[in-house]
Amino acid sequence: MAAEKPAPVRVLYCGVCGLPAEYCEFGHDFERCKPWLRAHAPGVYPEDLLASSSSGGVAGDKDVDKVGERLQGVGISAADGPSSAGDASGSKQGEVKRLPGGKIKKKDKQEVVIEKIVRNKRKCVTVVKGLELFGVKLSDASKKLGKKFATGASVVKGPTEKEQIDVQGDISYDIVEFITDTWPDVPESAIFFIEDGRKVAAS
Amino acid sequence: MFKKFSFEDISAQNQVKASVQRRIRQSIADEYPGLEPLLDDLLPKKSPMIVVKCQNHLNLVVVNNVPLFFNIRDGPYMPTLRLLHQYPDIMKKFQVDRGAIKFVLSGANIMCPGLTSPGGVLDNEVEEETPVAIMAEGKQHALAIGYTKMSAKDIKTINKGIGVDNMHYLNDGLWKMERLE
Repeated sequence: MAAEKPAPVRVLYCGVCGLPAEYCEFGHDFERCKPWLRAHAPGVYPEDLLASSSSGGVAGDKDVDKVGERLQGVGISAADGPSSAGDASGSKQGEVKRLPGGKIKKKDKQEVVIEKIVRNKRKCVTVVKGLELFGVKLSDASKKLGKKFATGASVVKGPTEKEQIDVQGDISYDIVEFITDTWPDVPESAIFFIEDGRKVAAS
Repeated sequence: MFKKFSFEDISAQNQVKASVQRRIRQSIADEYPGLEPLLDDLLPKKSPMIVVKCQNHLNLVVVNNVPLFFNIRDGPYMPTLRLLHQYPDIMKKFQVDRGAIKFVLSGANIMCPGLTSPGGVLDNEVEEETPVAIMAEGKQHALAIGYTKMSAKDIKTINKGIGVDNMHYLNDGLWKMERLE
């Protein structure tokens, strides 16, 4: 067969959605890709398709507004794109950070998840996950929890680096108040119970 | 198949011994004869090859922190899409028509009508249970990697049901993992 080495093809991947440039229309957010495409990959999409910010793609409402503003200014400089894209995504609280090139980054949703696991028929364990995202030292937290509720509490390692605090007994009710009192950084709205889908703690 | 694949689905990572490394190299060489001259570059004998075991009997072959091939349950090794984009001619290609693209990109399996309608191209020699590259009508680059459930001739004649299983597609969990920490 062929003895020469086939040379690797260098593929241009869109800086915004991480797909090859020609697939941007199927990406998450075509509107954001359009200025990038104009700057880096002219010729992949015809100009008239790029210019119209119509709802052909999967653009969300607020992105369409921003894109309208942007497209009014002539000249797509790379500096413009990321900054307004940054606004659009920064405004949503706790949105997943989407890095250009689609690299995975650990999803840093700042929330505390409280789960109840039944150990024996009567006894259960309350698991608190996510405190470390608020800058809380887990070993201190577990000591305080144990003291306050007069039960055993320990720091347990999950399947990967994620750690959680296990507290014996069912303290799910009181724990919300305790967390917000002891660590004022943690807002009540960021605490979730697991009940087949998450429920906001504030109730 | 990699729809929800993340760093946390990995259960173990082991550096394999040389005999296993040789075996993997051999089966990849058998499966993809077009890749033979490149095998030394991609899977050098000296550099440590790591096999990452993930849920659902999935193994990833990782070299220099970059996943290159994967296989399920000792099935044939399939290249990752990133690798396939660099060397598009190593696998047989099927082409789906434009309407199917968005479904395939969300992980759907490929139904026969997508391959037999105008805009779809079938390579007649392909038998069942082979890895194939899935291209899209009007696009240059591969869209997904699939495992045929029916041979090309059957797809044409029967024209119903799932033709190719969608194993790995653009922007799925494995695509997003360009490097493993």
